[in-house]
Amino acid sequence: MNDLFSELEEAAIEQYDHSDLPKWLADPVLVVARNPEAYRGKEYLVEILLAQVREYDVYAEAGCCKWAYDHEDIKRTLRWLEEER
Amino acid sequence: MAIYLDCNATAPVEPSVASVVVRFLEKDYGNAASPIHDYGVFALAAVEHARGQVAEVVSARRDEVVFTSGATESNNLAILGLAEAGIRSGRRHLITTAIEHKAVLEPCDEMARLGFEVEILPVQEDGRFDPQRLAEALRPDTLLVSTMQVNNETGVRQPLTEVAAMLSNRDIWWHVDAAQGFGKELEQLRHPRIDLISMSGHKIYGPKGVGALIARKQNRQFPPLRPLMFGGGQEQGLRPGTLPVPLIAGLGEAAKLAVRNSGERIGHCRAFREKALAAFSALGAEQNGAEEHTLPHVLNISLPGINSERAIKALKNTIAVSSTSACTSHTRTPSHVLTAMGLPSEKVEQSIRLSWCHMTPEVDWHEVESILRALRG
Repeated sequence: MNDLFSELEEAAIEQYDHSDLPKWLADPVLVVARNPEAYRGKEYLVEILLAQVREYDVYAEAGCCKWAYDHEDIKRTLRWLEEER
Repeated sequence: MAIYLDCNATAPVEPSVASVVVRFLEKDYGNAASPIHDYGVFALAAVEHARGQVAEVVSARRDEVVFTSGATESNNLAILGLAEAGIRSGRRHLITTAIEHKAVLEPCDEMARLGFEVEILPVQEDGRFDPQRLAEALRPDTLLVSTMQVNNETGVRQPLTEVAAMLSNRDIWWHVDAAQGFGKELEQLRHPRIDLISMSGHKIYGPKGVGALIARKQNRQFPPLRPLMFGGGQEQGLRPGTLPVPLIAGLGEAAKLAVRNSGERIGHCRAFREKALAAFSALGAEQNGAEEHTLPHVLNISLPGINSERAIKALKNTIAVSSTSACTSHTRTPSHVLTAMGLPSEKVEQSIRLSWCHMTPEVDWHEVESILRALRG
């Protein structure tokens, strides 16, 4: 389980340092990544969050087709993680 | 209960796959095409997540994965879906091999009925087609080459690397039926020259009734496929119909595990294989297909002096095995694969296929040996 959270931390830092992931999104993602016990049982959603962070693209909505993830996707998954889902 | 050794017909489901499927059946049952509330949005998120998981197995992009009902449908879409492109461009020549699954051979028959010329390459005694024969068969009007990755009856890996080199500068679509090797032999399918890849969920410990056609894009365009069904426009217009989110999410989980646990699974299958080979070699069995090209979870053998039907019945309380592929065994016709490899009919009738996986428990091989020896007695 901890591998998943370590990968999330690594991806968030990488996207924040070298790409366009804004601090206001990177911070709550890092809260999830650094608190695996709090999210036990929600690994499926954490996996989705990891994929979204890795494929984050600030211009995901641009063009005809959306094949990257944007801030809305990540915000929504973070919300689901805090809810019952 | 007999130990299940027919994993090439269908495989057990990974426990975590079953959990994901149940979640989307019981709790998160939204329609991915209705992302107007959280139910639909979550279903869509799960589908896109699964798409990425399937794409990762073959180093494709997420938008190159088209979900289908399984490899049979994917094969049909890859082959029949190119008919119009062939007719429009005047390229009406197809090449495939004699050991393909019926899900490739029969769509090719249909293409022949539509006026295409289908050339079927022979195979060698080792169970592989000869890439040189393929090179000789290529023509300026060749539209499609369709070759399997791993044979379903013998487990023999086909020479895809050689084909990729041969087709590198040719304007020919290349489809690979990877039903038996997807997620098990990872490197071959990552070659970017392969245009179309068919896969099935239930062969990789996922659910039945779901699979994918991975269609690599060139300049952001799919190969010129036409859908086989109409109504809804899902899957980028190539495969309409409400997406079966529980099955797709389960397929994604299975694909993830295939990559993550690849080494461990291969190790288990190799260890199992050594014991199976030892038991059958003590019985004088002859392997069908070259061992050096065979994946570690499949063994096709002929048992001298024992008819396969008798062997399967005698073993049914100990191990569950089959004689040919699941899709042809019910017809009781001799294996077209072994026949194409040049085996005499007697050896074909003595052949059985054993296929296992990382979840297969230990087998009492001494019992297997004594049952088979008694049949000879």
